[in-house]
Amino acid sequence: MKIGIPRGLLYDHYQFLWKSFFENLGAEVVISQKTNKKIVDDGVAVTVDEACLPVKVYHGHVMDLRDKVDFIFVPKIMSIHEKEYICPKFCGLPEMIKTSISNLPTIIDPTIDFIKNKKHLLEIVYEIGGYVTYDKRKIRLSFEEALKSHQNYKNKMKQGFFPMDLDKKHEEKHEAKHKEDTQKILLLGHPYNIYDEYLSMNIVEKLRKYGMTVITQDHFSKDQINPQMNELQKKMFWTFGRKMLGAALYAMEQEDIQGIIYLSSFGCGIDSVIADIVERRTRRNSKKPYILLTMDEHTGEAGIDTRIEAFVDMIKWRVENENYVSTHGQYISAR
Amino acid sequence: MKKCYLGVDIGSVSTNVIVMDEDEKIIDTLYIRTQGKPIETIQKGLYKIKERINNEIKIAGIGTTGSGRQLGGIMVGADVIKNEITAHGVAALHFVPNVQTILEIGGQDSKIILLRNGILYDFAMNTVCAAGTGSFLDRQAERMGIPIEEFGDLALKSEATVRIAGRCAVFAESDMIHKQQMGHNQEDIINGLCEALVRNYLNNLGKGKEIKSPIIFQGGVAANVGIKKAFEKILGQEVIVPPYASVMGAIGVALLAKEEVRKSGRTNFKGFEVANSSYQVKSFECDHCPNMCEVVEFFRDKNMVARWGDKCGRWSNVEVKNTKLA
Amino acid sequence: MKITFPHMGNTYLPVKAMFDDLGVDVITPPINSKKTLEIGTKYAPEQICLPMKINLGNYIQSIEKGADTIVVTGSCGPCRYGYFMEVEREILKDLGYEVEIISLEAPDGDIKEFYNRVSQMLETKNIFKIVKTFKNAFGILKKIDEIEEKVLKYRPYEKNKGEIDKIYNHLIDQLRKSTGSKEMLQYIKEAEKNFMNVALEKRQDVLKVGIIGEIYTIIEDFSNIDIGKKLNNLGVEVHKSHSTSGWVLEHLFYESIGRSREKDIRKAAAPYVKTMVGGHGRETVGNAILYAKEGYDGLIHIMPFTCMPEIVAMSILPKIQNDYHIPILTLIIDEMTGEAGYITRLEAYIDLLRNRRDKFQNEKMLSWS
Repeated sequence: MKIGIPRGLLYDHYQFLWKSFFENLGAEVVISQKTNKKIVDDGVAVTVDEACLPVKVYHGHVMDLRDKVDFIFVPKIMSIHEKEYICPKFCGLPEMIKTSISNLPTIIDPTIDFIKNKKHLLEIVYEIGGYVTYDKRKIRLSFEEALKSHQNYKNKMKQGFFPMDLDKKHEEKHEAKHKEDTQKILLLGHPYNIYDEYLSMNIVEKLRKYGMTVITQDHFSKDQINPQMNELQKKMFWTFGRKMLGAALYAMEQEDIQGIIYLSSFGCGIDSVIADIVERRTRRNSKKPYILLTMDEHTGEAGIDTRIEAFVDMIKWRVENENYVSTHGQYISAR
Repeated sequence: MKKCYLGVDIGSVSTNVIVMDEDEKIIDTLYIRTQGKPIETIQKGLYKIKERINNEIKIAGIGTTGSGRQLGGIMVGADVIKNEITAHGVAALHFVPNVQTILEIGGQDSKIILLRNGILYDFAMNTVCAAGTGSFLDRQAERMGIPIEEFGDLALKSEATVRIAGRCAVFAESDMIHKQQMGHNQEDIINGLCEALVRNYLNNLGKGKEIKSPIIFQGGVAANVGIKKAFEKILGQEVIVPPYASVMGAIGVALLAKEEVRKSGRTNFKGFEVANSSYQVKSFECDHCPNMCEVVEFFRDKNMVARWGDKCGRWSNVEVKNTKLA
Repeated sequence: MKITFPHMGNTYLPVKAMFDDLGVDVITPPINSKKTLEIGTKYAPEQICLPMKINLGNYIQSIEKGADTIVVTGSCGPCRYGYFMEVEREILKDLGYEVEIISLEAPDGDIKEFYNRVSQMLETKNIFKIVKTFKNAFGILKKIDEIEEKVLKYRPYEKNKGEIDKIYNHLIDQLRKSTGSKEMLQYIKEAEKNFMNVALEKRQDVLKVGIIGEIYTIIEDFSNIDIGKKLNNLGVEVHKSHSTSGWVLEHLFYESIGRSREKDIRKAAAPYVKTMVGGHGRETVGNAILYAKEGYDGLIHIMPFTCMPEIVAMSILPKIQNDYHIPILTLIIDEMTGEAGYITRLEAYIDLLRNRRDKFQNEKMLSWS
């Protein structure tokens, strides 16, 4: 039995959980290829124009798996946290997939909705496992085992790793992680935008090449994020919105973080709200440079590169200016 | 022999070359339409500059900027290849050391750059929407049958306000036609177009940005006095158009090249012979993975000097020749 | 304290009546106009949806008239509507306006908290009085909804063109000028009587079109460029799937409208949308099916640009169109929508519906069954 997992949306977040769960159950797991031009083009072709790029690309990933597997796992992830949602499009994802793509194998589309509480998690696990085996005990044990690898992965992320670092050799990882004298940049964005090397146009690597240390909202702990968010009058009801805004509010106060980049996909309703608040707060409360990069399927890499380059210049320029007073006039020190 | 520096700004609409001396004085400037042929344009530019400057001059450093900066940089052997935002900032500071805001409108893109205490503070760039760029005016001028050079002066003659609505070039155009049909006079419509462009620019790029004086207006469109007036009217502040406003990117990168050469002690400039070499660009679609990248190969006199366009680095990482990329 | 609130259709009339009855100083924002939208567009995030842009314009115009407190309703996601107030707070703060934003909502169905907020706003603890005025205002709202529904239904059947508009416009004009619910009810009664006397004629060629989609753009005729009237003028009977009175119940108390239709909508949508998707995405799909079953000739799906729940609905509607053989036209609206292009599309769509109906009738005549 072959189960396909599309490498899109929250794949990076849960990659170890679902993959090992299905494997522990004895199924063969096929992951769609890394996002590439064909996957993007395929996804764009079958979705409505107005959908955001990550949702379109997810469709492309499903199409990549369509003829290779017996089942495709497309969970309906409505809420992964009490009183919080992901986004409306996530709520309707399996439905969008089923109406937009023809000749699909069976779709495993459990509803994951923890808006009230997580009590029925086990029921969901049984539902999913039921596609592979009737043995409930095996399902439960497989899931518990899978949770361990998920936890392990989460811990690694907290230490500053990126999903893409996991493929790399040990030395490279080390190099990527800690460098003395580097500037630290907070990269905000939905995980499926910032961790997908193709969609993000490799922004993490690009920043690292300029000698920047990159961190994201996922590298902060709850204790760093949540207190900031509790001060807002209206409770934030998007999980990633809370994380991004909370991380930004925290980072504004941290001296060692030199700048904030927000990577957003065009038409994202959540980003339209969060990015605006982040920008206003950053400008009001700190002197840190901030930039919003918006991308869709028409975004040219050259334009993004120019902005990244200028942003890095801006940071270096400021840091040097603090340390060096030129006799030639102010601007010379900038170069 | 006098030491000089070259700045080359390769934009999609125009390519600008400037010559600057050791005292950072501008000796010569050159403007050529790029017309989709950056290589030939750069060659033409260098050839003309060589003809114009006297032989007592030695090029001590060169920098490239603009959307064609990588290609141009490889061609000429640039000491600095810099994005146009930084380049514009550096140049503006050179002329107005306490500048706080730079408004830049070019043919195909526009930028706003904020500086505080002589350092780059914030910026935004628009490459998608045409309504805030020079091409919008060009198109309307063409439609009205008026040379774009006269546009600004005509706008100044306007006495009544005609409001052209629409945030998008397409809608603004249809609204303009509508106003024409209603019989408004030409000067007022032209002035309305200038104000529409400025409003679009500010809506698009100025959102949430504190526009403080001194304000500098540069880029190709800065020569249009109608736009300058519209900026001053809408912002309610004085707007300075510096000398050499249309070649500021090139000046900025020349300043940066000078600094770079001061540090490194030598230039990578390949000499004016570049103008006589034959360049060729070939491309192929890589079929190694579904990305189907279009890989570009760049030849000088039949020798491959650079290769780019692939995402994975399979082609571009191969050392082709000792070409320094920034 | 001078209270203001956002516009949505004719809600401002009963809202004003309510505050008048309670003796609260209220500033009704100027009627939605290009100016409102221009202000909103200037200060709102570029990619936020149209409703917030108009709301923000309303607030700023009201503040300029002296308002210092904004009353809004809330929701708890996942549609971004629930977070408007937080963004608006930030924007108004950056603009240097010192205003308070009170969110009238019953978080997690907490009615007590709702009354706390209401009494804070009204500076009275007299719950009896509050409930009574609210009931009166709600009664007016429902009446106005009913009238609007009838206007959209009967306008294409008028014998003397313009008669209904005349009564309706006169009514709105009177309501605008009146103070308190008592006066308003009087005028409404009068208008109802006048409507009864409008001469109608039977017409076979009138088409029936249902409007589905995002609630604000359906109700607020400024945002939808008065789609109901435009269709009426093209000889189309119109029914809107959302009304303000339904919305008030839902947003103030997180209560479903309670009508049996609500259940039917969800049941109809179930094979296509299993759960809620935020906003009214599921209702859009459900309403489409119900309208199709009720024999409507066509459906117009209307939504603001980048509306998340409606993008889900939009992806599913082609299937409804196929399964139920009903043409659906999606209109996406933002501040750049031009009226000319909009009318062209409406006209072409109505032509299509007409042709379809003629063809269908011919086929029926030719067949034996």
